[in-house]
Amino acid sequence: MSNAAITVHNLYRFFGPLQAVNGVSFEIPHGSVCGFVGANGAGKTTTMRILASLDYPTMGHAEICGINVTHHPAEVRRLIGWMPDHFGNYDNMTVLEYLDFYARALGYKGAERRQRIDEVMDFTDLVPLADRFSNKLSKGMTQRLCLGRSLLHDPQVLIMDEPAAGLDPKARVELKHLIRVLAKEGKTIFISSHILSELGEMCDSLLFINNGRIVHHGDSESLKKSTDILGGVLYDVQLDGDPQALSDWAVLQPNIEFLESRRNGGRIRIDTEDPNKAADVLARMVKDNLRVVDFHREQRNLEDAFIDILANLEKKQPSLATPPPLPPQASLLPQEPPYDP
Amino acid sequence: MHLFDFPDRLSPMLVKELRQGMRTKAFVGVFLALQIILGVILLSAGAAASSDSAGSTISNIIFIFFSIAVLIIQPMRGITALSSEVKGNTIDMMVLTRLSAWRIVTGKWASIVSQSALLLVTIIPYLILRYFFGGMNLVGEIVFLAVLFLSSAALTAVTVGLSASSSVILRSVLPMIALPIGAYSLLMMLMFGGMGGGGLSSFFSLATDESRIFTSIYLAVCAYYGFFMLSTGTSLIAPYAENHSTLRRLISLAVTVTAAVLGSMSFTDADTLPFFFTVVLLPVFAISLSEFAPLAAPTFRKFAKRGPLGHLAGFFLFPGWASGFIFCLALIGISAVPFLLNQPTYGGNDTFIYGLACLAGLLFPAVIINVFRINGPQRVSNYVLILIGSVVLSSVLAGITDSLSNEDLLWLFCWIPPVLMFLENMGSGSGDEVLIASFVICALYIGTLLLRAVHDYRKSIMEIRSHSDSE
Repeated sequence: MSNAAITVHNLYRFFGPLQAVNGVSFEIPHGSVCGFVGANGAGKTTTMRILASLDYPTMGHAEICGINVTHHPAEVRRLIGWMPDHFGNYDNMTVLEYLDFYARALGYKGAERRQRIDEVMDFTDLVPLADRFSNKLSKGMTQRLCLGRSLLHDPQVLIMDEPAAGLDPKARVELKHLIRVLAKEGKTIFISSHILSELGEMCDSLLFINNGRIVHHGDSESLKKSTDILGGVLYDVQLDGDPQALSDWAVLQPNIEFLESRRNGGRIRIDTEDPNKAADVLARMVKDNLRVVDFHREQRNLEDAFIDILANLEKKQPSLATPPPLPPQASLLPQEPPYDP
Repeated sequence: MHLFDFPDRLSPMLVKELRQGMRTKAFVGVFLALQIILGVILLSAGAAASSDSAGSTISNIIFIFFSIAVLIIQPMRGITALSSEVKGNTIDMMVLTRLSAWRIVTGKWASIVSQSALLLVTIIPYLILRYFFGGMNLVGEIVFLAVLFLSSAALTAVTVGLSASSSVILRSVLPMIALPIGAYSLLMMLMFGGMGGGGLSSFFSLATDESRIFTSIYLAVCAYYGFFMLSTGTSLIAPYAENHSTLRRLISLAVTVTAAVLGSMSFTDADTLPFFFTVVLLPVFAISLSEFAPLAAPTFRKFAKRGPLGHLAGFFLFPGWASGFIFCLALIGISAVPFLLNQPTYGGNDTFIYGLACLAGLLFPAVIINVFRINGPQRVSNYVLILIGSVVLSSVLAGITDSLSNEDLLWLFCWIPPVLMFLENMGSGSGDEVLIASFVICALYIGTLLLRAVHDYRKSIMEIRSHSDSE
């Protein structure tokens, strides 16, 4: 039995010809925060649903705290808190009644139930909203309510599918703060998000998934280093004048790659870390009549790392970037999601 | 004792649904409208108290409005019971608590039934006042009220169970058509049968053996259908690793055995026997023959660990249409017993032809679904629609045949099982020809389904074994 909070071994999930999860394996240690990154349809939600015992793997197995999610779903459900990517709220039900219902459904009774609800409402700052109807809350408030619900039974492992999606910046900061507090309390958090920079700040490790396969697992710094396959240094360049001029200029320069356009310029990569070379590049720009108003070095971010990973895969192993053909034995496997009979 | 602790002994689902349901406009509207209407009627009746028929008129009006409330409006509230949870993605969050799928479904059902009970309680004062107008058949009206309430509970179970289906036709359109038609028929019986001078109230006074047997069977059918529909709804929302099919099949087995024992004791006449068994077998055939439930490893293991006996049981009781068909064959065998035992009492082939036509009628949609591989997510609704379609088409064909006075058209379509009944009704050919046709069609359908079922069953077993090995 593994010591990890989450263990996934050789996990497959097929929906007819679609291979949503394709041989995924990873481990997440107790008390760590792990970010799960991938494009839409990469297999994040399916993997998370299997971990939450809401779906069933075609092959392979997953464990939460050493308990097999398929064979012992009831035990696993006591250990996990689940935040889905989207969900509706109930009509004609206040925030307090909402939490009261879930506390009852989790088996809490009497004073213990009231205490759990008070603690959760206090933690998620829902006390002022106690008498508001749950379907009249803003997105941020709804996410806090959902987090509160998932914490009612004090789970060891939190599985959060895109919790920050659709939140305004203030709500996002609040959510990030709550996740940090939960991480300090020692909970294992498995979180997926499209906002990679935020994941980098919060997470001890990051899992990158593409076409149902894990393509990288490591912390954000190692990820940035290991995926910097092209090397060099990134620079943000701002011009006074037509920003197109920068890309036109960069195309003609050796050892310089134009990466992306920005409002008044763009981002370039210079293929050396020597600062003198950067000074030379700047001098050449001025000489070639580019009216440079800002030229500064930039850190590689997680988005760069993610794009590099995908580019690297395309170059090295095209078979990983596109799904392999379906094994014949999968033909009779579940064709539909379980809730669409 | 805190106010919130009061419902601790109740199901959390019931508490939640009651909190929500009693705030809905539908419930508040029905509740207030019923009180206002009944109040006004009673006041008006007071003015005409001298009339002999005032009492029975008041009873009729009370029952009519109560019937509309509990047989149409309340069951219709079940139409969105589970679909709204599935659409809102809240069903996952509930499944992750200690609530089982069965408790979720029954909680939804119990909440609507509780609100119907509340409506029932509120009309009791009006019935007490009506008592003073005279001419009241007390037992008959109380039993009828109870029958209405239990019918409402069964109809609510049907709509709640179907509400988990992904088919809009099955969960919304069919109930919206069937409920008003059913209630309208009942209202006609009320208005023209009358409550005062006999009719339904005297029937439900349970004075005769016939009324006692009918009422008992009716309530048993309500309970059976109610359970079946709630169980089906449970299967539709539960993760498919959870197996609800086996219990459902075992209960239908018990009901079929009971029906076979009753049928063998000749408690009903031979002509009604085929229809009696059609009513018993319809829900289990509809669900078992169209069940889309892949065999999951945990379910397989539970059977496998009981050795050869477990494997044999699994042949009949595993989830999925393949074992469902084999189970249905066993039910057909049990249902055949009373037909064979009562054979000497039959005057002709009618009973056998009707029996075979009903059986082929239940198999026909499954043949279409499996031959044409309609394996999508809406197999149950496809089954029901094909079944209804075959009855409607047969009626149309019979109508055309009747007007043309030529039975060839019906013989052309005799592969649609209800057509066989019309052929027998019209006395087509010699009775033996229709009987032989019925046998051939039944055998053909059973053979086709058996081949498919054995093939699919073996594949699913091989697959589950290969996956168990890979783990």
